Amino acid sequence: MEFGIFTIGDVTTDPTNGTTPTEHERILATVTIAKHAEEAGLDVFATGQHHNPPFVAPANPPVLLANIAAQTERIRLSTATTLITTTDPVRIAEDYSYLQHLSGGRADLMMGRGNTGPVYPWFGKDIRQGIPLAVENYNLLYRLWREKNLDWEGNFRTPLNSFTVTPWPLDEVPPFVWHGSIRSPEIAEQAAYYGDGFFHNNIFWPTSHTARMVNLYRQRYEYYGHGRADQAFVGLGGQVYMNKDSQQAVREFRPYFDNAPVYGHGPSLEDFSEQTPLTVGSPQQVIERYAGFREWAGDYQRQLFLVDHAGLPLKNVLEQIDILGEEVVPALRKEFAANRPADIPEAPTHEWLVERHRAGNDPVPGGAPGTRAHNDRLAAQEEAQRKAQSQA
Amino acid sequence: MIEIVAVSTGLSEDSTTTRLSERMLTSAQTALEAAGATVRTTHVNVRHLAKALTELTVSGFPAPQLEEAFAAVSRASAVITVAPVYKGAPAGIHTLFWQLIDDAALAGTPVLLGATGGTPRHSLAVESTLRPMISYLKGYALPTAVFAATDDWAGGAQSGLEGRIATATAELAELTLALNPGALTSAGAEATPAEAAVGSAEESPRATRTRGPEGASASEGYDRTIPYAGPAEESGKSAITPSGLGERARALRGRDEFDPEQVTPFADLLGL
Repeated sequence: MEFGIFTIGDVTTDPTNGTTPTEHERILATVTIAKHAEEAGLDVFATGQHHNPPFVAPANPPVLLANIAAQTERIRLSTATTLITTTDPVRIAEDYSYLQHLSGGRADLMMGRGNTGPVYPWFGKDIRQGIPLAVENYNLLYRLWREKNLDWEGNFRTPLNSFTVTPWPLDEVPPFVWHGSIRSPEIAEQAAYYGDGFFHNNIFWPTSHTARMVNLYRQRYEYYGHGRADQAFVGLGGQVYMNKDSQQAVREFRPYFDNAPVYGHGPSLEDFSEQTPLTVGSPQQVIERYAGFREWAGDYQRQLFLVDHAGLPLKNVLEQIDILGEEVVPALRKEFAANRPADIPEAPTHEWLVERHRAGNDPVPGGAPGTRAHNDRLAAQEEAQRKAQSQA
Repeated sequence: MIEIVAVSTGLSEDSTTTRLSERMLTSAQTALEAAGATVRTTHVNVRHLAKALTELTVSGFPAPQLEEAFAAVSRASAVITVAPVYKGAPAGIHTLFWQLIDDAALAGTPVLLGATGGTPRHSLAVESTLRPMISYLKGYALPTAVFAATDDWAGGAQSGLEGRIATATAELAELTLALNPGALTSAGAEATPAEAAVGSAEESPRATRTRGPEGASASEGYDRTIPYAGPAEESGKSAITPSGLGERARALRGRDEFDPEQVTPFADLLGL
């Protein structure tokens, strides 16, 4: 089980004093936060991707992540999320492969479709094609990382003729991919199809809904023959603000919550905390709450926390990371390890993926011959052929 | 089983909007039962959802009671919607309900429009705001909308309110039965069409129906002849036949997209 933090790179005014960090300050703060996370003993740092104010999340995450990789040694670098819809899959393949080399295999990525409308037309895409874009683009990315001299044609990008990604993935094994979605079952289905991971940010959404998405992904993962449902790769987001004194935590965080661009003027902090994983209180409260996610998410692999959102000063963010590292994460590691079946995989590392690849056990997209999915597809094809013939 | 869901925004304890929608609900229920259907009614007061609606607008976050109300509309065989008129239009909180519900929730469902106001001056208030919105949602808004001004509660033949309610609910009953002929069979009495669609996506009420272009409805007990023009795609005629938009929409709504058994296989999305 790995624990870490993710940032969406928002540049938000601190409501308690009216100050706003400059983009420069926020960018440097982000790097500081990532390095501090490693020092605190956390396993993952993930960044979002944005193309407009008020964000400094990078337009190309490998730029930020490579900088952090050079200043760290162990922490895994990931995204929340990489925009698979509006970013050219060829550039994703090249840049994340480069990052993989520079970081010595400490990189993976989480795909998302993006929630900012104008980004689509800025990059020549149609927002109404969100799902088809995600499907076609990821399929191309998948092939780019596994096939040299690729000939390819599709709907959303110019064709490729005899194309090989440079650099070729480290040790011939691409970074692990998680697919993120809040409410689209098609993406859970996509993750299951390829045997990739599924990530749900979990924070702005009722837990009951998240549970259904996770369950859908797990069942379909098994359907495609990649393993048992409980062996699938699940990651969750979360958000916390902690203080030894839980009342103090609420007092400190409330102004940030009430004025946050995302939360402000909506449900109260208490209502929101009840229905989503947002936990504002003592470290013990966070431990209890998050340890309970196992009940509906199963034995999952990755838990990321949002700690730098809504204009919190850098000092507070670093303190939150300290509390995570000193109290919360060690306790959660123990909780999640207890009674965890030995044949449920951990979050994939580069070494683990290389071993799997060399053993010939890479998941077969859509299910290998002999799996239920494969047989169903063959049956459907035969049915279609028979219909076509009988009408001819 | 026919389920009628009333969505009204009664803002005071003794609200005329609530009173009107209850009258319309009762009248619709009576008309449908007279035709032999089993009827279930649900009444949603948007007032109780006001905070949840605002929260959903601002934070994108669906409160459970709001989701329940949306689910009731999705299930409904027929809908009655009544709003008070403020400044010449249905009150914003009422239209907000329809502006936040899922695009597919109302498709192919007969909808009766109603409104209340101080004077008859704003009798056409629903026509410019609510009717186009229901049309956008692909609900079948019935021709007769019912407006009740304060004076209409004086009663008697003069006000005409009872007459308008009767006309409107007769239209609702007629269209609802035409779209749900299965509701009159003993099998159909158990579940709403949306619920039945979950169990048998293949089976359709049309299966019990007719044989030729002039054929009558095969549903027992309902003796109104509806000319069957054939599948809408072939005949080019109105989609309001049992094989048209309404039925497809209702069958689709019964589908749970998070059910591993009902999810669209990825190979279809890839175009394989």
